[in-house]
Amino acid sequence: MEISFICNGRKRMAAISGETRALDLLREDLNLTGTKEGCGKGECGACTILLDGKPVSSCLLPAAKLDGRNVLTIEGLKGDGGKLHPIQQAFLDSGAVQCGFCTPGMILSTKALLDNNPAPSVSEVEVALSGNICRCTGYGKIVEAVLLAAERLQVKI
Amino acid sequence: MEYYKPKTAGEAVSLKTDSRMYIAGGTDLGVLLSEFMVQPEALIDLTGIDELCGVFKVDEGVAIGACTGISLIAESELLPACLVEGAKAIGSPQIRNMATIGGNICNASPCGDTLTPLVVLEAVFIIEGDSGERRVKIEDFFIGPKRTCMSPEEILKIIIIPSRSPDQKSGFRMIGKRNGQAISQVNAAVSAVITGGIIKDIRIAAGSVAPVPLRLKKTEDVVRGKALGSNFLERMKDTAEQEVSPISDVRAAEEYRRKVAGSLLESIFRAMRKEAV
Ligand SMILES: Cc1cc2nc3c(=O)[nH]c(=O)nc-3n(C[C@H](O)[C@H](O)[C@H](O)COP(=O)(O)OP(=O)(O)OC[C@H]3O[C@@H](n4cnc5c(N)ncnc54)[C@H](O)[C@@H]3O)c2cc1C
Ligand code: FES
Ligand code: FES
Repeated sequence: MEISFICNGRKRMAAISGETRALDLLREDLNLTGTKEGCGKGECGACTILLDGKPVSSCLLPAAKLDGRNVLTIEGLKGDGGKLHPIQQAFLDSGAVQCGFCTPGMILSTKALLDNNPAPSVSEVEVALSGNICRCTGYGKIVEAVLLAAERLQVKI
Repeated sequence: MEYYKPKTAGEAVSLKTDSRMYIAGGTDLGVLLSEFMVQPEALIDLTGIDELCGVFKVDEGVAIGACTGISLIAESELLPACLVEGAKAIGSPQIRNMATIGGNICNASPCGDTLTPLVVLEAVFIIEGDSGERRVKIEDFFIGPKRTCMSPEEILKIIIIPSRSPDQKSGFRMIGKRNGQAISQVNAAVSAVITGGIIKDIRIAAGSVAPVPLRLKKTEDVVRGKALGSNFLERMKDTAEQEVSPISDVRAAEEYRRKVAGSLLESIFRAMRKEAV
């Protein structure tokens, strides 16, 4: 079947089969390999994308469900004038990235949180990131990064 | 594999054959598909059917479309506390944004976190199939682990939550291994009508303690008519531990599940007492 959707601000068309996962369409057909596959079962969050602004696991999502929707992957996140997005910068500045495998998913979950709740509490951050596993950092620095990003984004407004 | 997106329930039913499967959010089905545990010829996506989406007031109470997202249930102000809490307990934000309540019901896992709330709320299901529409009470719906009374072509359309007394209070608790993803090892829900400090009416259920979400009628008998603040918790717990019939599996041992079912119920009643003060 043919689908068309907006991906990172650009209109995309694709020919897919019913069993194609959104994850494979993004990685294999569109070459957007920032979206990672960890568990392939909805448990780790490495494959998180934003669908109409909400985090979903692209490994469980049939590509057919993208039709007519708006998708943001980590490649679509940019700051002003070609710089990193403030959330990306905050992750670097806080030392919240080690191997980086979980980072695209973490950052997109953070974006969805801060778009809805610009000044979250620590426990709200923990709930928002509860679907993203990190095997390296121990989470402390990731929570710090989210709070730092929130602070910087608020100053900007 | 084909992928159909019908616009009406009737259209979906007419598309269904033995080799095609319905899909809603795909969070249960996606796992089975990726492990080749199921290999349908086609998927029939129910989430584009407008009449299956949303939470609205009706004469009988509140109606929930089967394809309403778990995230929406978790934020609804029209729905009783136990169901909202049950929805919040499911998976992670990613899973809640994809999963539907109808999928949780039709998947019929004994540990489904909206199921015990729906049992104590005495939900009624509206189902459509080849021979038209029918209504089924939740107590007749589940017939075993992952088994329901629906025939293969039938669709769950609407979940009715019958009107509540203004004095109705409800609560939900679960215990799992990790917040965010943990499938419940045990969950429990209570719905009570408390007038002048007396528990006039009571419904209690526990999940993951039997092949289907279990209504605990003997435990209800211990609690009914008691003053909320009186000393019934120990007897209630003992009765609940006897009344459940759990198994041991990878997630928890039988004896543990019995104890936890009692403790979760105790915790719900203690919270109700606090709220009443
Ligand atoms: C990582 C992870 C964590 C999870 N955590 C929890 C948890 O904590 N608690 C919990 O209860 N569940 C949990 N689940 C299970 C799952 O998310 C829920 O059961 C969810 O509500 C299923 O809904 P769905 O719309 O995704 O169902 P789908 O996968 O789309 O469908 C499930 C089944 O029901 C059928 N079906 C769906 N809708 C209908 C309908 N309207 N009429 C007829 N048949 C229908 C489908 O054919 C399929 O067989 C988890 C799953 C994952 C992957
Ligand atoms: S790869 Fe999708 S959640 Fe792990
Ligand atoms: S930085 Fe390695 S998994 Fe998170």
